[in-house]
Amino acid sequence: MALIYMNMTLAFTVSLLGLLMYRSHLMSSLLCLEGMMLSLFVTMAITILNSHLILASMIPIIMLVFAACEAALGLSLLVMVSNTYGVDHVQNLNLLQC
Amino acid sequence: MNLFTSSMLLTLLILIVPVMASNFNIYTKNSYPNYVKTMVSYAFMTSLIPTIIFIQSGQDMVISNWHWMTIQTMKLTLSFKLDYFSMIFMPVALFVTWSIMEFSLWYMHSDPNINRFFKYLLMFLITMMILVTANNLFQLFIGWEGVGIMSFMLIGWWFGRADANTAALQAILYNRIGDVGLLMAMAWFLFNLNTWELQQIFLLNPTNTNLPLAGLLLAATGKSAQFGLHPWLPSAMEGPTPVSALLHSSTMVVAGIFLLIRFYPLTENNKTIQTTMLCLGAVTTLFTAICALTQNDIKKIVAFSTSSQLGLMMVTVGINQPHLAFLHICTHAFFKAMLFMCSGSIIHSLSDEQDIRKMGGLYKTLPFTTTALIAGSLALTGTPFLTGFYSKDLIIESINTSYTNAWALMLTLIATSLTAVYSTRIIYFALMGQPRFPTFILINENNPLLINPIKRLLVGSIFAGFLISNNITPMTIPQMTMPTHLKMTAIAVTLLGFIVALELNLATQNLKFKSPSNSTKFSTLLGYFPTTMHRLQPFLNLLASQKVASMVLDLTWLENILPKSISTFQMNTSMMISTQKGQIKLYFLSFLITLALTLLALKFV
Repeated sequence: MALIYMNMTLAFTVSLLGLLMYRSHLMSSLLCLEGMMLSLFVTMAITILNSHLILASMIPIIMLVFAACEAALGLSLLVMVSNTYGVDHVQNLNLLQC
Repeated sequence: MNLFTSSMLLTLLILIVPVMASNFNIYTKNSYPNYVKTMVSYAFMTSLIPTIIFIQSGQDMVISNWHWMTIQTMKLTLSFKLDYFSMIFMPVALFVTWSIMEFSLWYMHSDPNINRFFKYLLMFLITMMILVTANNLFQLFIGWEGVGIMSFMLIGWWFGRADANTAALQAILYNRIGDVGLLMAMAWFLFNLNTWELQQIFLLNPTNTNLPLAGLLLAATGKSAQFGLHPWLPSAMEGPTPVSALLHSSTMVVAGIFLLIRFYPLTENNKTIQTTMLCLGAVTTLFTAICALTQNDIKKIVAFSTSSQLGLMMVTVGINQPHLAFLHICTHAFFKAMLFMCSGSIIHSLSDEQDIRKMGGLYKTLPFTTTALIAGSLALTGTPFLTGFYSKDLIIESINTSYTNAWALMLTLIATSLTAVYSTRIIYFALMGQPRFPTFILINENNPLLINPIKRLLVGSIFAGFLISNNITPMTIPQMTMPTHLKMTAIAVTLLGFIVALELNLATQNLKFKSPSNSTKFSTLLGYFPTTMHRLQPFLNLLASQKVASMVLDLTWLENILPKSISTFQMNTSMMISTQKGQIKLYFLSFLITLALTLLALKFV
């Protein structure tokens, strides 16, 4: 196994930890989501290029598309929260109302 | 035969020269109006030549001189149709216009823009000639629109007055609705018969002509002020009296009827259209005669009288007698123009007083105008052997003896008696009794520019019916035999109208004024037609469209259907079924610890 795989796995794990453990801002969780997406993309691209499996080259691109959609969804939720409270502190989300 | 063509074209050329000359210096002189009047009189005299040739030889002629363009298979040319209708109408129209121009030299004497006024009158006359001599529908449409535009310019002559501008706009709008009908007819002829030439249309003789004839009927309703599109004609009295005399009594408003008369080979085969024309004309003539009964403005009474006669012409076309209607057009031009000129003389002499309740006693002070007014009214009501008798009595006889709608006949007879009633009203209020106007006015009708045209038209009103009907080639067989009581109908109802009106006027002369009854209000407010159609209809339309635009489109379709409905639905359902409390960090941490424990457990087992 090449060293790059370990590097990316480490990046993925660090981002996952950042996604699940954050203090107050919802935005940091969204940024870590993007980080996860980035590490997965690089892993997939390196595997495909290494094994000359050209047919599977579309998989990273499709993953990019889906990641963009989910980022948009997350941002719209952030905007909704920010419209109500002014800041995106996650301790505000206890009222279950809009 | 050569003289026919050349004198015809000479007539048209004589009419065009003063309009061209308005670019030069002569337009700024104050001899220009007299020049225009003289040219129109010369045009009248040269137009008598082709008419006499036509009467003597009985041959139609078509002048087709310039090929304009060919659009795929349709050829557009400049062609003049010189047949029975245009040849007899041209001298009549030119004679009446000559008299009116001489009258307006007196009436508009103090107007600074009198040169422009005469130019507009002449342009109107030229477009009317184009309309009358057109051989194809395109040229007719040019003339049609031209008379509409000149009517607008002339009604709004005193444009500083808001009422005049409103009336001019009203004329344009109502005429436009009729133009849609004409365009529809033109389009039908283009698509089905591939032509706009009248000869080809009549030759091909199409079978199902309901649609184009309905379009032509709509055009005639707009231009000739039939019921439904009639309010513009009384409002058009805002223009100067020469304009009312020329346009809205003898020439322009007969353009619609003239169009229907031109198409008589098509209408004589279509029973439906004939019935529609009959009913529409009958309703028009009765309704406008009722409205004329209680008007107080002398020009409006004469305007409604014109409208009633136009309805009578429509009735005549509806019983398939186009030549009688045409004869009525020609005879009506004489006495109606003269009636307008007499009212103009009265109005000017009383320093612009138009209300008949403030006139009176003019019998002694304006003797010549009185003579002309009484002679004109007698001719209008169809007194035997005056002008109106030769056309109106023939019409009443034809409608009495033809196999037609008895209801339409009844309406026409009632309207005929009402004609006598309102004519008596004008004569009684304006001419008889004691004067009701202020006494410091100088009344002088002794001006040759006023006397001569009225004199000419007076001679015309008395003799023209006899002269015209004895000299024209007979195109149809008139009704020769009928029972005595049918022959006496027209005279009887007219006499009845005269006597009843005179008795009522004399009997109620000194009674106290009562507040108007419901039927008086109906008649004075023109049947509530302008009130409802001009205010209520646009208001309802605008209100409905505002509701549609803001409530239906904006609020409902754009906002509520997808976005808001989805969001409210989601919120309601999630609030209904959710048991969460929003402790996000707790949920994330528990997820992380579960994940870490699983990985550790899998590594060591």
